[in-house]
Amino acid sequence: MVSTAVVDTVTGPPLQELWKTRHDKTRYQWSSLGLLTPTFALLIFLFLVPMGIAIYLGLTNLTLIGPTAVHSSFTGTANLIRLKGDTTFWSSLWVTGIFIVGSIIGVVVLGYTLASLLMRATAWMRVVVGGIVVISWMMPAVTAGMTWYASTTGNGTFGTLFGHPNANLLDAQPLLVVTLASIWSMTGFSMLVMGAALRNIPSEAIEAAIVENASTWQRFRMIVLPLLRPTMTAIVLLTGLLALANFSLIYIMTQGGPGNSTNILPLYSYQQAFTFNNLAYGALIGNVMVVIATVFGVFYVRITARRI
Amino acid sequence: MKVMLRGAIPRLIAGTAIIALSTAGLATGVASQAGASSKVTISVAYAANTTFDTTPLGLTWWTQVKKEFEKQYPNVTVNLDAVQGGEPDFLEKLALLYRSTSTAPTLAQFPSTEIALYQSTGYLASMDKYLATTSWFKEYPKVIQNEGKIGGKIYAVSSGENNVGLYYDKAILQKAGIALPWQPKTWADIISAAKKIKAAEPKIIPLWVDAGTSAGPNGAGYGILNLLAGSSTPTIETSSGKMVVSSKGLTQTLDFFHTVFADGLGAPTSQLFSPNNAPNIPSTDFFKGTLGIAVGANFLGGNWTKQVSFPYWAKASTAMGVAGLPKINGGGYASTLSGWDYGMSSTASSAQLTAAGEFMNVAQEQTNLIEAGNWAGWVPPVQSDWTVPLYTNFAAPFNEEFGKLLPSSSELPSNANYNVWVQGIEQASGDIALKPATTGAQALASMKGYVTNQLGASAVVSLP
Repeated sequence: MVSTAVVDTVTGPPLQELWKTRHDKTRYQWSSLGLLTPTFALLIFLFLVPMGIAIYLGLTNLTLIGPTAVHSSFTGTANLIRLKGDTTFWSSLWVTGIFIVGSIIGVVVLGYTLASLLMRATAWMRVVVGGIVVISWMMPAVTAGMTWYASTTGNGTFGTLFGHPNANLLDAQPLLVVTLASIWSMTGFSMLVMGAALRNIPSEAIEAAIVENASTWQRFRMIVLPLLRPTMTAIVLLTGLLALANFSLIYIMTQGGPGNSTNILPLYSYQQAFTFNNLAYGALIGNVMVVIATVFGVFYVRITARRI
Repeated sequence: MKVMLRGAIPRLIAGTAIIALSTAGLATGVASQAGASSKVTISVAYAANTTFDTTPLGLTWWTQVKKEFEKQYPNVTVNLDAVQGGEPDFLEKLALLYRSTSTAPTLAQFPSTEIALYQSTGYLASMDKYLATTSWFKEYPKVIQNEGKIGGKIYAVSSGENNVGLYYDKAILQKAGIALPWQPKTWADIISAAKKIKAAEPKIIPLWVDAGTSAGPNGAGYGILNLLAGSSTPTIETSSGKMVVSSKGLTQTLDFFHTVFADGLGAPTSQLFSPNNAPNIPSTDFFKGTLGIAVGANFLGGNWTKQVSFPYWAKASTAMGVAGLPKINGGGYASTLSGWDYGMSSTASSAQLTAAGEFMNVAQEQTNLIEAGNWAGWVPPVQSDWTVPLYTNFAAPFNEEFGKLLPSSSELPSNANYNVWVQGIEQASGDIALKPATTGAQALASMKGYVTNQLGASAVVSLP
């Protein structure tokens, strides 16, 4: 039996023929479609259909209230043309970009710093500091927003600490303060993930580098950073997506103001849909956010696929 | 087996509950169908947390009116729909309620600035038939009667009005050498008084005038729009429905703001931009003795009463004074007028509309109307109520004074573009408060740009 198999292999079809044959086809079973049906159904009814409706809504004149609230119609590219010339939208997109990039940088740097410091800390310190940071991550956006609002306005913690109790940091530097609040609220997650990744770095590699007289910076750049890259990529993308959808925190702290200085896209979409009653235009801005989130998602999938 | 039992028992309970609920639902449906010929149910939607000065006062008033009504009309059941949230939340939720005939309230109470929007959607029924026989509506001043009039028909009826004047702390003004009673004749007089206060009491906020967007569209109604109403060009919306984005009046108004904030006379932005009910902050500042003058709404006086306690200040009646807000160069007072109105659903049945009309009659009965005014901080729309002790004694002398000021007030527009326009002017006032170096012209240019960008050039106009 064994010898027959060997002979078959030896006297089998030429190698070029083997390349042409798709061996994965033999593994494909039509019956698996049945098993995939629930997933397809969920994908269609919970994602594709609502997305399709949202895209259509964005191309209508539907309002929350007013003559077109009941009898709306398809308006073609009218909303897209409006979006193109909407200076508030472009400023909102810019603010969103700054907010996301600022949040990502802060979350990654602070998360790594805390995780690496906690690796060296005593056990009780690790528990206390780690616990506090994780609590800040678990805190609801409403509580986080109120905490940061109270700390950064007149008679707040920050002003008092720096000897200017009446300083109103939130109004003076609104985008910076809401970005710091966003970083604060997401660092716990980054610290946990980064801590786990740091613990998985083989100590032999670090020890070998020390024996080779590698400096701290060289060890970080040549060993730690490459091994942490997949984790950091995941944190960057997830933080980006979370920051993009971070409506509650900013709504509570500034409602997008003063002026439009913290008016990120989710807030602008909400303002259009529910303050100005332009449901359709609000939906279109929401669709833009979906496009941005999709770019993040595709980037994430490609990077994680490359790792596999 | 243990695992199966763990899953099976909750499923069994859930299944039984669903069957029981379905049966109960069917039974209720059958019962209501059976009684449909004689029984009527109406739903009344109101803002649970914004119209009345405190949520419990609102609940007390609505429950009291419902009880009184159901006693008089035993065949009618009233379902009160207390919509939670701040005013923007309320407006959003109410608009969503109207989107389905099954949830549209038979009667709803909403701000007067929303009337045209609801009417143009087709959500509101004409109320003329139900008002023809009432005595209270005839006593409304014409300006308030017309608040809900569109195309010759009445679609909404006021349940109370807000207007604006000047509050001042008598002791602070005296210290600043200002003669009492104080009644400025022009805007320059207000600035002059504020400067004197600053010179005499540097730690005190000389003048409160709302700025910024944190209070929503109503914030402007309690602040900057009152100054615009007293400027040389008070027009917000032209007769052709275009929103004014540039005018002499707007320039004068924003210049006034520039003077207030550039000279350090205004309140700090931590208070002005507070998401925590900014238009009510002056009542606390006055109580603490940290504020000299405020452009404030009529409800501030009621805030100091025991019932409202925001905060309770027994001496407010003697410590505080009220004056009319003068026009820019004199010649009378100016104020905006904005109310909360009842509207009936166009999808309600005739029997429901009749019942809703009767419900309004009970709600507008003198004691109920005045109590609503007192507890919600409104001037009652019936003119004869302005001198009734139940109203005047509640927050003396403030209630009576604001009743007297009401005839010099003017209505705010009600259309789809108003919210965008008001966002623009609030942003402009906020810019000046935040960066006092911003001139009136710069703030106006920013407002013009914002509103034009949002509404399109064809929907706006510049006036000389």
